[in-house]
Amino acid sequence: MTNHWIDIQHSDCILIQGSNAAENHPISFKWVMKAKDKGATVIHVDPRFTRTSARSTFHAPLRSGTDIAFLAGMIKYILDNELYFKEYVVNYTNASCLVSEKFDFKDGLFSGYDAEKRAYDKSSWAYQTNEDGSIKKDPTLKDPYCVFQLLKKHYDRYNIDVVSSITGTTKGDLIKVYRAFAATGRPDKAGTIMYALGQCHHSVAVQNIRIMAIVQLLLGNMGICGGGINALRGEPNVQGSTDHALLYHYLPGYLPAPTASQATLDDYMKKVVYVTHEKKSTNWKSNQGKYAVSLLRSFYPEGVGREAGYGYDYIPKIDDGQDASVMQMIDSMYNGNIKILTCIGQNPCCSLPNTNKVRKAMQNLDFMVHINIFDNESASFWKGPGIDTSKQKTECFLLPAAASVEKEGSQANSGRWMQWKYAAAEAPGDALSSGEIIWRIMTKLKELYAKEGGALPEAIKFANTDFADKHNHFDAEKVAKYINGMFMQDTVINGVKYKKGDCVPGFALLQDDGSTCCGNWICSGSFTQDGENLMKRRSKNDPTGLGLYPEWSYAWPMNRRVIYNRASVDPDGKPYNPQRRLLEWKDGKWVGDVVDGGAAPLSHENGALPFIMNAHGLGCLYGPGLADGPLPEHYEPLESPFEKNIMSKQRINPAMTLYKGKMDKVANASREFPIVMTTYSCTEHWCTGGFTRWQPWLLEAQPGAYVEMSEELAKEKGIKNGERVRIKSARGSVEAVAMVTVRLRPFECGGKTVHQVGMTYNYGWRFPENGKDDSANLLSPTAGDANSQTPEYKAFMVNIEKLA
Amino acid sequence: MSNGKSILIDVSRCTGCRGCQVACKQWNNLPATETVQSGSYQNPPDMNGDTYKVVRFAEGRDEQGKPYWHFFSDMCRHCVDAPCYYSAEEGTVIHDEETGAVVFTDKVTLDYLDSVQGACPYSIPKGNERTGKVVKCTMCIDRQKEGKMPACVLSCPTGAMQYGDRDEILALAEKRVQELQKDYPKAHALNPEEVRVIYILTDDDEKYGNITY
Amino acid sequence: MKRRDFLKLSCGVAAGAALSGLGIDLLAVEVHAAELTKAELVKKALQTTTVCCYCAVGCGLICSTDKKSGQIINIEGDPEHPINEGSLCAKGAGIYQTSAANDKRLTKVLYRAPYTDSWVEKDWDFAIDRIARKIKEERDKSFVYKNAKGQTVNRLESMAHLGSSNIDSEECWATAVYARSLGLVYIDHQARV
Repeated sequence: MTNHWIDIQHSDCILIQGSNAAENHPISFKWVMKAKDKGATVIHVDPRFTRTSARSTFHAPLRSGTDIAFLAGMIKYILDNELYFKEYVVNYTNASCLVSEKFDFKDGLFSGYDAEKRAYDKSSWAYQTNEDGSIKKDPTLKDPYCVFQLLKKHYDRYNIDVVSSITGTTKGDLIKVYRAFAATGRPDKAGTIMYALGQCHHSVAVQNIRIMAIVQLLLGNMGICGGGINALRGEPNVQGSTDHALLYHYLPGYLPAPTASQATLDDYMKKVVYVTHEKKSTNWKSNQGKYAVSLLRSFYPEGVGREAGYGYDYIPKIDDGQDASVMQMIDSMYNGNIKILTCIGQNPCCSLPNTNKVRKAMQNLDFMVHINIFDNESASFWKGPGIDTSKQKTECFLLPAAASVEKEGSQANSGRWMQWKYAAAEAPGDALSSGEIIWRIMTKLKELYAKEGGALPEAIKFANTDFADKHNHFDAEKVAKYINGMFMQDTVINGVKYKKGDCVPGFALLQDDGSTCCGNWICSGSFTQDGENLMKRRSKNDPTGLGLYPEWSYAWPMNRRVIYNRASVDPDGKPYNPQRRLLEWKDGKWVGDVVDGGAAPLSHENGALPFIMNAHGLGCLYGPGLADGPLPEHYEPLESPFEKNIMSKQRINPAMTLYKGKMDKVANASREFPIVMTTYSCTEHWCTGGFTRWQPWLLEAQPGAYVEMSEELAKEKGIKNGERVRIKSARGSVEAVAMVTVRLRPFECGGKTVHQVGMTYNYGWRFPENGKDDSANLLSPTAGDANSQTPEYKAFMVNIEKLA
Repeated sequence: MSNGKSILIDVSRCTGCRGCQVACKQWNNLPATETVQSGSYQNPPDMNGDTYKVVRFAEGRDEQGKPYWHFFSDMCRHCVDAPCYYSAEEGTVIHDEETGAVVFTDKVTLDYLDSVQGACPYSIPKGNERTGKVVKCTMCIDRQKEGKMPACVLSCPTGAMQYGDRDEILALAEKRVQELQKDYPKAHALNPEEVRVIYILTDDDEKYGNITY
Repeated sequence: MKRRDFLKLSCGVAAGAALSGLGIDLLAVEVHAAELTKAELVKKALQTTTVCCYCAVGCGLICSTDKKSGQIINIEGDPEHPINEGSLCAKGAGIYQTSAANDKRLTKVLYRAPYTDSWVEKDWDFAIDRIARKIKEERDKSFVYKNAKGQTVNRLESMAHLGSSNIDSEECWATAVYARSLGLVYIDHQARV
């Protein structure tokens, strides 16, 4: 979230798209309802009428996988009717930037496409530059190559008839949504977008979010109170686990993972230290070298010096352009190349797409370690349906973990609040915290490598394992101090003395000379210099009266509650909305939220642009860095009811992630699988049900798998509510109870009637033991987004038959 | 004394999250009952010997043909003049002076099931074969006596459930009905003078499923 | 005896305090005074704040732990928490059933030998020794110093790690050190799925 949960109350219009917030983030609706009480319009755009729709002002159904077309129509509506916030667009976005005259877009493809590689050469998407390297701009927004004009041209194609035909949303509903949301393009109005995995689980995932960002930038809704792009994250600490980079392509703090072409720390520094030629840009990423060195110092605090790049030499390098994300991991496992898997609190045998392939891949492992609080379909994969255990080779451990309430530590919520929690009881039996288990394994490995040597032993021998308290148990607060950062030697900065071992009170003090360590720069500042843990704070002081609660826990970065908050004020530092003064330049200083970057307002001599994480300081209406184009374009999902894309000859995202193995079957526009399927979760279960199916109260409320379908489809198929049915895709089949409902309705789109059904992915064979239920992901395809490789869980094709 | 306590359930604010349903089980340590998926979100299908609170789900199409989905967090109404109080042997059912909660002691055995259930206009009391008792919501009187609000009210995210002095809740109900009538001409409170658990509905009563009104 | 005093004693259904019958005399009241209502047990318990273990709204909860047994006896919303103000959804309201009170929790190290059909209980020493040994064997055997182009890559491609976004940040960070020091590149968690 750019903003935070409590901030939703300040919105004048809330667009919930690709999210079922009332069901999957139920407490968000406390704040949605508060906004509604104050007169906000709440819009739900979703294929299904859900508990969210029930409490929204209105619901606009759309066919799964057509969000870009839906919002492209909104952009056209905003531009045609000049409803954008002009001053904001000119000053704070890249609308005025000129793009290379080589840039082109024809019949679904941007310039630079290589059909063989299924990838773009992005050089023609670059900006035109002046002699000093700065970007050429036209503040009148009239130059045909300025971003604004390119945007206008690109989205002019999405007229209401075309959009309605793609999405299946009626023209009336489209106009209703556009009118309500575009009304927030005024300085005194705020519109927010709440989205979740409904936007991300597509082959156009990142572009789905990008187009939301474009809408919000046009309307001046970024960086303001009651605005923003708000990702509702679905796991308690998926913000934290992402921040700390349990990911192949990042190191903690969103520093890129080193690649093979960056052999030395110096090579890497050249990559991560951003350069700008824009006078008014803060270019925060020019500091990344300090963060990188401090990170390495936290990984390797002792015994490793500058000569080994502070440990850079020991960090694995991915090949340039390599994809090692989870679908690729499974593919590699399927092909027999991965022998060992360690897995904490995850259930890939239900949660990953094309689960039959995943379950096959797991059987190729020699050794698996699973850490969890309950058994699940992955820990016990070796005794899964159809497996002869006497022929199954994998050696497995299932290690008992402490539950959340049994351990101390922090979780980062969607609003980036790092909240400290305490252990309320000992874990039962022999269970230990996951941190303790990992630390014990590392400690043992260190011992073995010290004694026996082995492959690159330094990488392990010197790795930080200083995580234990005096009783030799994992000490979360000690680790938290490494994450925050510490001085590695006595230092004086700007006349202030810092002693070795003092906590670094903020990332502005991090150094690239090895004198500081910091496990994750964005979290730096969560401790004071003398070690007070600010994540524990519980004061409800609220000086702005806006519910920022700056003394409750700690929000990264630097306790900022709304990021890009400089965009909430005009170039002189006056709040655009005097009713919601998030930030204000007063008597030569900023008051309100913690300002993004310290600089003065834009109009001042040393003033700065608001989007400080971009090298040019501007919000991106045009995004030349993405793999699949600088402007979002509608493509059909890999599997859809249509042979053709109404918009162009390019049916699917030309750069999407595809797999072509024996088990990666696809059936597009097939008579065999004519029904659109989408998958999701419900309030009463969580993810694959790995925790919740074992809890009697929750299982009582949602005891078994169901497939929601319209009355019209049920009639066609002769299915009655409550009957058991079989759902099939090109990849697998699963049983469920039919839930025949008015909440789903067929779509009229592309000149035909399209049926859509939906299932939760909350079930599996392991428990309840007497059930016939299994994962809805037995159906979903191994395919995903071009940029993020998120699987396309939300739109694929199935058929349904009644079971005898 | 402010005329005891009351709970307001404004269904126009309810998201059907069932926090109340589970919070009730949690506080009262009530075991789960075995349920089956039968084509509805509503489970357990009704209150039972181990379930004092159930959220009812009812759907249909409105006059414009658009879907609606109503959620009704059902529970004992804690009648101002409770028929169940008179239906069992004297003293087995307690009507607490301070709060107005109607509470069954463990003297309400299954022998009284028919009379107690029959007396209740809402058919709330249920028998528990395991314990041999007739049971229902206690309005969390043990919490109330410790100055805490009932578990279900505490759990409610959206303010669909509110708890307070009866006079205040009655005033709040009246105000809320007036506000809602602007958007929902059918908005009304369910017999507020007769019960302590006062529902505000925005649609015809029969559209909330199997509720008694 | 006033009726409300009686009720204070008699309504502790949950705490296992037997509901007294009617017509009790003072003696009976004294007897029952030893049996506390759940509300009273919770009041006497150790109160600990925590954060919900499901979605990332980050609701605050209060756990009540019985001081004698060390067991959690109640978990409910934290009314002071500015986001949820005491409220919880169905999952949050039921977190008690993730605690030791749930008899389906894993409490022992379980080991499955190749080609066998069941888990067997082991101790931690066995598990940690075996896991470290297996990882070391694989790492020493398959470590890749250089890629096909001859560039230094120092990585282990035959081992993967998954998860987790449902453990604490400090545990995630320690896991990031673990995975990177081993040389893993196949590292992912729930962020994509």
